[in-house]
Amino acid sequence: MLNFLFFGRLGDLASGIDKAHPYHIDLATPLAIRNKLAEQHPLLTKELSEPQVLVSVNKMIVKWDHPLFDGDEIAFLPPVTGG
Amino acid sequence: MSISISVQAKDFDLGAEYDRLRSIGDGLGAIVTFTGLVRDFESRPEEPQYSRKLTTLTLQHYPEMTERLLSDIVEQALTRWSLLGVTVIHRIGSLSPNDQIVLVGVASTHRHDAFQAAEFVMDYLKTRATFWKKAHVDGQEQWLDAKRSDANAAARWDDIKHD
Repeated sequence: MLNFLFFGRLGDLASGIDKAHPYHIDLATPLAIRNKLAEQHPLLTKELSEPQVLVSVNKMIVKWDHPLFDGDEIAFLPPVTGG
Repeated sequence: MSISISVQAKDFDLGAEYDRLRSIGDGLGAIVTFTGLVRDFESRPEEPQYSRKLTTLTLQHYPEMTERLLSDIVEQALTRWSLLGVTVIHRIGSLSPNDQIVLVGVASTHRHDAFQAAEFVMDYLKTRATFWKKAHVDGQEQWLDAKRSDANAAARWDDIKHD
C-alpha cells in the first residue's frame, strides 16, 4: 500500500482522490504517480509539476525519481508559508 | 544547551518562555526574542494596491516532519553562532488577527550571536518548515502564496558561514 498526502492548495485539488493506493510496480516513483494522476486530475498534475513543489517519502525530501516501496508515505508539498 | 521546539495549537506565554531562557545561568548575557503576530490584512507584494481585511488565518502543517525540520534549522544555527539556548514555538489551527503565531527566543553570551541566530531561524523557518497558511478574506478562503522577499531573506545566509 502507498499512502498519499497533499498539503496546502494541493489538498483542495486532491479532495476526490483515494489517499491509500495498492502498491504497483508501475507507480514506483513519485514522478510515475504524478503522471498517473494526470489521467483523472489534470489540474492537480499541472500544480504538482510546478518547479517549487517538493515531494517527500517517509518525511524526507526526495527527488521525483526516488524509488517507492510498499508502505511508503508520499507527501506533495507546495511552497511553505509559515512564520 | 537548552533547546525547546514545539508545534502547538495553544497560545504561548512570552514572559514564561523568556524566564526559562533567563534561567540558563552560566555565561548568559543576552536574550533576543521575536514574536510573530497575525496581521489583520492580506497584501500581495506584486500588487501594491491589493489589501483585504483578514478575519481568520488557518495554519496547516506536516506533523513530525515539521518538528524535524525545525530541529535541523536550530542545529544549523548552533554550528554558526555561539548559543546557550534556543526556543521555537509555532502555532497551528485557526488564528485571529493579533494572535501570536510564532516565537523564536535565543540566548547567548553576547548580543550579536542572539540577534543573528534569531533572524536566521526565522528566515529558514519561513522558507523550509512545512507550514501552510490559509487566509479567510472577504468571506472567502485562499491558500497564501510564498513570498519572494522571504526566499531572498533566507538566501542571504547561504554564503555567510559565520561573521
